[in-house]
Parts: sequence; structure tokens; C-alpha cells
Amino acid sequence: MKLMRAVSVLVGFGLLVLSIGSGGAAAQTAAPAPVKIGSSLIGKLEGPTIITDAKTFPTSFKEAPMLAEQVKAGKLPAVDKRLPEPSQLFVVKPLNEIGKYGGNWRRAFTGPADHENGNRINSADKILTFDYTGTKIIPSLARDWKVSDDGKTTTIYLRKGARWSDGTPFTANDFVFWYEDIYLNKNIVPTPFFEFQIDGKDGKIRKIDDYTVAFEFPEPYAFFVYQLAGSTGIGAGFATRGAFQNWGGAYAPAHYLKQFLPKYSSEEAANKKAKDLGFDSWVSLLRNRYSWALNPELPVMTPWRTVSPINTPTWSMERNPYFWGVDTAGNQLPYIDRITMTLAENAEVANLRAIAGEYDIQERHMHLSKLPVFLENAKKGNYTVHLDPGLNGADAAIHIGNSYEGDPEIAKLLRNKDFRHALALGIDRDQLNEAFWLGVGSPGSVAPAPDTIYSPGPEWNKKWGVLDLKQANELLDKVGLSKKDSDGYRLRSDGKGRLRLEMVTVGGQFVPYTQIGEMVKQQWKKIGIDVDIKELERNLAFTRDENNQNQMITWANDGSEVLFLFPRHALPVDAAESHMGMAYAKWYASKGASGKKPEDPEMLRAFDLFRASFGAKEDDRVKNAKEIWKIIVEQTWSIGTVGQSPAFMGVRLVKNNMGNVPDRQVNAQHARTPYTSMPITFYFK
Amino acid sequence: MLAYIVRRLLLAVLTVWAISVLSFIIIHLPPGDYVTSYIASMSASGSAVSEGEAKALREQLGLDKPITIQYMKWMGLMLQGNFGMAMEWGRPVTDVIGDRLTLTVVISLAAIVFTWALALPIGIYSAVYRYSFLDYLFTFVGFVGLAIPGFLLALIVMYVGFAWFGANVGGLFSPEFAEAPWSFAKAWDLTKHLPIPAIVLGVAGTAQLIRIMRSNLLDELRKPYVVTARARGLPEYRVIMKYPVRVALNPFISTIGYLLPYVVSGSIIVSLVLSLPTVGPLLLKALIAQDMFLAGTIVLLLGVLTVVGTFLSDLLLMWVDPRIRLGRE
Repeated sequence: MKLMRAVSVLVGFGLLVLSIGSGGAAAQTAAPAPVKIGSSLIGKLEGPTIITDAKTFPTSFKEAPMLAEQVKAGKLPAVDKRLPEPSQLFVVKPLNEIGKYGGNWRRAFTGPADHENGNRINSADKILTFDYTGTKIIPSLARDWKVSDDGKTTTIYLRKGARWSDGTPFTANDFVFWYEDIYLNKNIVPTPFFEFQIDGKDGKIRKIDDYTVAFEFPEPYAFFVYQLAGSTGIGAGFATRGAFQNWGGAYAPAHYLKQFLPKYSSEEAANKKAKDLGFDSWVSLLRNRYSWALNPELPVMTPWRTVSPINTPTWSMERNPYFWGVDTAGNQLPYIDRITMTLAENAEVANLRAIAGEYDIQERHMHLSKLPVFLENAKKGNYTVHLDPGLNGADAAIHIGNSYEGDPEIAKLLRNKDFRHALALGIDRDQLNEAFWLGVGSPGSVAPAPDTIYSPGPEWNKKWGVLDLKQANELLDKVGLSKKDSDGYRLRSDGKGRLRLEMVTVGGQFVPYTQIGEMVKQQWKKIGIDVDIKELERNLAFTRDENNQNQMITWANDGSEVLFLFPRHALPVDAAESHMGMAYAKWYASKGASGKKPEDPEMLRAFDLFRASFGAKEDDRVKNAKEIWKIIVEQTWSIGTVGQSPAFMGVRLVKNNMGNVPDRQVNAQHARTPYTSMPITFYFK
Repeated sequence: MLAYIVRRLLLAVLTVWAISVLSFIIIHLPPGDYVTSYIASMSASGSAVSEGEAKALREQLGLDKPITIQYMKWMGLMLQGNFGMAMEWGRPVTDVIGDRLTLTVVISLAAIVFTWALALPIGIYSAVYRYSFLDYLFTFVGFVGLAIPGFLLALIVMYVGFAWFGANVGGLFSPEFAEAPWSFAKAWDLTKHLPIPAIVLGVAGTAQLIRIMRSNLLDELRKPYVVTARARGLPEYRVIMKYPVRVALNPFISTIGYLLPYVVSGSIIVSLVLSLPTVGPLLLKALIAQDMFLAGTIVLLLGVLTVVGTFLSDLLLMWVDPRIRLGRE
């Protein structure tokens, strides 16, 4: 029986691979799953804390044996010479106890595009970050910050004596270098960053002294400090943004990168250097050299630095001898010496290897649908399974193409609130929850978890987010779809036969969207709505979004709980990705220069509230956010199904010999999970 | 003879050029481009690329230019022996492919050796002792082998290996050797990991070859010259091996042309399932990511190898089969 089940899961893997990822595994295992299999695996939210009172800082320091050897051999200065001045340290109180040095953390990665895998562990080089609850801003690379009363200036204070991983001092000059030589160079950054602008007006970086940097804006921009703490281009840290090859991070190692810039030699010399190394121009070379994942020589401020780059079969990292953090006993962090990620050509292999106990801590690429198999092998693999629910309302949201341009009758219906409400009320979310989330998700609307700051209140999670066939049918009759054909499906009002909607899904994702769509199709039959589930390749689905061709697309709304940091899954405001109306997103982002103005006055009201919030004071912003969420739920531009679940990187396998690993960690995009749990304090018992 | 070879060579060059155009078009056929795919893959793993960043990336990679300009740029680079940068990998295409080429060739050759070593003798045996017990057995096993898709077999072998023998799942090296420099121990480790992929990759081909060999040889054995040879009292071994087997081998040789690209690409799906670091999964990923330089170069490479392979098998056929040789001259 056990074998049969395992084989059936494996067959599921196979189908998955065969269709290049149309996830069949969930349906395979989910059907016989016992009720609420996972709720016992959700523990207490906990994590390390940072100490900010310099009086309680440790005064003597210890280091890892592998570094002590190098100090002895004269290859490295002593530990107190490598750390910042004692009053300027980053001091962490580990979750449970002071750890032990050493060890090699084994993980899986799926190829060069999977750099977020390492970025997230290594996110200490963010200027500011969030605490383990994901709500409070705490210092990280900067030891403190201040927002001016008028909200126009955000000042950060650096740690005196902090050094790059090659031993060069880290100062305000590295910010100035980034701003003047990288960001303002149009050859490198042709378009300004959205988050470094307020109302379309550019921000500036100014050096006050060697350890003080000011970010200045022409208009009040009180929200900027959140941009610095969040996972944004300006705030995500030099290493992370460099791996994205997107030039973000707000600072860069001037002493190393100058050699690649024409400004410090000449255009010809810089290009020649690039050509000699096989790159077509100096910008290409710089982009490659700028990524910590690709370039082991790059000086970094992160706890670990790359030894064997991400474009080889093993992405390995080693501790940064100059890392600027210590624990409360004065031990230089991190505890773990090395991280070795082995290439799994596809996520299925990673899952199978995890079952075999080949990874020490792995949350990325682990599938919720494989939970029964993970549990079955937990003892043999000597690991424990933790579930970390997300904070967003829907891990599968049916985003309505509000600016859909196609069949005019369907376009008209999609823009009708009553029609959207009817669809939302026709979904049996409990059935979906049991079948695909093993009962651990929360059924409801797209609104974020009730305990998040922007939540408009728990009643909004249920609003238009429950099964009510009677009301759904009434609403559909009301919008003029009262006639049905012999199969019980509603007819179009223009006399062209049965109303057939189309829902686009994408296969091979963390959540089995297609199978969820098929179940919704069965459920909508009861309200006389016929829908075709169309599984498309991801690029095609996204390109159809871009061209306003999708009537509906099922995708997650992760990140929407931090509305202003990551609005694209909540409101159509981001022209890079929008599932609920690309034409409107373009209109908003370009301030009316392109795209199409929404007809819905409520959407315009949400846009106004949204735009006004970036300069607003904290209280007003929170108030606005709650109002926006009420509008989003009331207007139902996206239909929520089941959310607040561990489906998105929330299934965590932890070997039993790992210490200081929290029972439950916050699982959120802005918190750079697992960074808020501070992997620098994890250790091998 | 020489004119024939020169004509074939010219045609080959023309074909290769056509392949380069076609492969470039094919890669541009799906909607979107590398940046679209990058945004989508970031979104799928809970990260974001902003509109400005996307625009910058598109400009730097030249994706905002018309397709003809992009093709000219690619061609221009290639004529200088530079195949461009693999976008996702941030390394020259030649390096990315080169890294995987050796292992791919090793695995494919192992699979081919396995296939031929098994298929030829069994095929000959099945034909000579037609309808014997062993013929039926081989036929049965062969059909089973033919019917099981490679990826399924790979999954089952992998699971059984993991569950009962505690073997590493997938890959070609144990974790401790993955990063180590080449050594005798590492080579031995590779040898230990090699049989599973070789067998999985070879099984379907073996079954097919057995059938082909058997039916070809059966056709030949019925021919009058075999009867004559027997009547003349030639030893049975010589009767079969000297002529009928040689003739029956013709189809093998004419398919060598297809073996060459296979050796380089490996089987995509099986390699993916077994997590083999070969060119196959690389091509798949490049296509999904719409990394046009990498995908284009691999497709072009496979095309060129097919052309070269066909050319070689023509020459080989001339050498093996005197009838063709005579006919040509």
C-alpha cells in the first residue's frame, strides 16, 4: 500500500515533467488525504531578536575555527580588527541558544534563475529589514535611520568600521558611487526606479559624512523607509539586486567596480576588456561582475559569499570573514561555515531528494501536495516538517481581466460587479481547501490575514467569499442571464447561444492552478456558468495579460498583504505585471499617458487613495490601505479562493540536528523568508 | 566521386544557413521574450521585477530591436566565432554548453554501447532461431521495453534505487564528489552512477533495434543467395555473418546521421527526470526562458550535427555496401 501510494505520486511527478509542468501530483495525493492533516504542523511564530542598546553589547569577540586558522597563519587580521567598532555592531540574540561553529548547509537549487534561493538566506545586506513577525522595521546594514518631519528626507547611519568581504572599509562613498556612477548612468540604468521617485519626481542620494547618508525627495515620501526595508529595487540589498542584474541596492563596492566603468578608463579600454572576456560590451561585463551569485570575486556585505558560482552544478558559499554581526556572547556570525546548493534539474528531483533527507533546511521548491510523502519519510530522513502559512488572502485567486478586449458581451459582463459577485459566491472553497490545501488554508476573499496591519477586519475575509448558490443565481438572473439551455447553462443575452467563459491557468507552479480551475468549473455548473479551463504556457499567459486577452487568469496574490510594497497582485497599478487589467495598470503607471482609463469610479477612487499614501503619514496610510482593501473586496476585481496557506514556500523540511530554527516563521515576500529567521544564527547541534 | 562530395558539402553549408534562420525564427515564435519569461518566473517564486528594471534589461539585451537586426547581430557574432551570452547564465554560450558536453557524450555513448551490444546479437539470434522459446521471450521483453516510456522507467528505477538500495536520487555524482576535481575516485563514482541512465536511455532503443535487425535479417535469409551458399556447403556461421548480416546492417548505418545529434543532446525528458547535467535539460530551460542565444546555438548545433551525420552515413554506406559504391561510379 505504501509502495503503491509512493508509485502513484511518482507517476504524478512523471506526468508533471511530461507536460513540462502541468501539475498532476496534487490531485493524485490529495483525494484520500485525511482532514486537516497539516494543522498540527503549524507551530508558534518565533524568531531571533536584535539588541540595539549599545551598553549591553559584548566587548570580547570569538570567531570560527576556520578563520582562527587563517588569522594564525597571518592571512587575516584578528577578529576585533575585522568587526565594526564595538558600539556599532549588529548584535543578535539567537532564538534558543548560542550556537556552535561549523558545518555545511546542504540545499537544492534549480538553476541560474533560482538566485533568490541564496539571496533570501543572505539578505543581511539590506539597509533596513523587518523583524521576525514581518511587521516592525529593524536596522540591518544601517545601524539606525531617521525620517525628517516633512517626510522629504530619510537619513541612514552606517556602522563605523564595517568592511566589505575583502577588508575594504564600507562608507557613504559606496552609496555616492552607486548613485552617481551606476544609477545616474543612462547606459546602465535607462529608466529610474519607481520606488526612488515620488509622484514621478526623482530622489537623490547625498553624503553627509563618511557614515551618514541622506535620501532626499522633492515631495514628502514618508513611505520611503518601507521601500528601504522591503524587497524593492532600492532596498533589497546590493547582493540580491545584483543577482537580479538590475543594478539596485543603493550602494556598491566602488573600489572593485571602478575598473569596469569607462569613466575611470575610457570607452575603448572598457569595451576591449569586455570583448576579451567574451562579453559584447562593458555594460554586459559589468552586469555579470555585479552579481554576487555569478562572480566569486565581488566584494559583498552579506554573511556568506559565493565560492562556486550559480551557473555551475553546485552553487557553494563560504562565510564572509568580515561579516559585521555577532551574537550576544560576542561570537562573530554566521555559525555555519558553508552552504552547498546542488542543482536539481527540476523541482521534482529536489522533492525526492528532500524525502531522502539530503537537505538540511529546505523550504523552497517543496510542494504542499507532497506533504503526506514528506511525513511518511520524516523518521527515515531524520527531518521534521514545519508549515509556515502565508499572510496573503488567496494562494489561488481568479483574477478578472477587467480591461479584457475581446468578445464584447463577455467584456461587459466582466465589468459588471453583480456578475463578478455571482461567480465569487458560486465557489465551494471548503471543497478546494480539502482537496488542494489538505485543509490547512483559509477559504475566503482576497483580503489579507486579519492580523496584518492593512487588514480591514476579519469580516472582509468572508465577504463575497462564501458559497451562496441562491444569491449567485439571483444575481445572474438580474444581470440578464436568466435564460438557460437544455443542459442548464445560461445563454448569452445577444442570442449567440451558450455563454462560455474562459479561464487561463498555468501549470507546473507551486499551486496546481489547472486542477483548481477544473474543480471550480464543476462548481460553477450549479449556477449555470460554463467555463473552459485553458492551461497555457506561462509566457503565453503573461503575454495575453499584456494584451488584455485574458478573461480570467488563476494566479496567486502573494505579497498583496504589504499593499504599497507589492501592489501588483492587489490592484492593477504595475505595468510590469498585472492580471486584473493591464490597460488600467498602464494608465495608472503612466499617469494617463498610455493605457486606458478605468470606467469603474471605485477603481479610480482606489487609485487616488493608493497614490496619496506614499507621501502620507503612517496613520493615514494604514487608514487608506484598509479603505482600499474594502474597495477591492467589494468590487471583487479578483475572486479569492483559499489563502493564508503554506503553499508558497511554506513547507519546510528541517533536519533534526539543526539548532535555532523557528517552529514557525513569517512567510512573506517583503520579509525575505527565511531571512527574518536569521539563518546566520542557525547551527548544527 | 570528388564532384559528388563537393556538391554535398555545398548543399550542407546551405542547409546549415537555412537551419540558423529557422532556429532563430522558431525561438521567436512563442509570445513574449526573455524578459517576459524572467518576470513570470520571478513572480512564480514570489519576487518582483519592476517595469523600469524590465525596460533596462530589454534595452541591454537588444530585445527591443526588430528581429532582423537581432539575427544580423547573432550572425555577426557567430562569424567571429562568438556565440553570444547565455542570458540566464550570464556566461558565454560556448562555456555553458561546453561544461555539459563531455558528460552528455559519455552518457549517450554508454547508452549506445548498451543498445548495440544487446540489440545486435539478440536480433541475429531471434532471426536465425525464429519462433524458438528465446525468440518469443526476447520479443515479449522487447515489446514491453518499447511500450514503457523512458521517463516512467526512470522514475521507477529512481524510486526503487532510493527505497531499497539507498542510492542517491538522480544526478551523476555523489554529493561528496560533485565539486571535487577529477580524480580516480570521482571517475569511479561516475562509473557507478552511469548504468542507470545508460539502461533507461537505452531500453527503448534496444527493443526497437532488435525488431529491425530481426526483420531485416529474416528478409535476407530467405533470399536465393543464402540457399546457394548453404548448398555449396559453407559453414552456417559464415553463411549468416558474411552476407545477410552485412546487408541487414544497412539501416543501422543510415541512421548514424541521427545518432550524432543524439549523442550531444541526450534525451531531454529522461535527463530531466534523472536530473542529469546534460545538454538536453539545458535546451529545455533555454527554450522556456526564451534565451535565444543559448537555445539558438544548441538547435543550430544539433542541426549541423544532423547534416554532418547524414553526410558521414552516406560515405559509410558507400564503404559497407559495394552495390551502392558501384552504382555511384
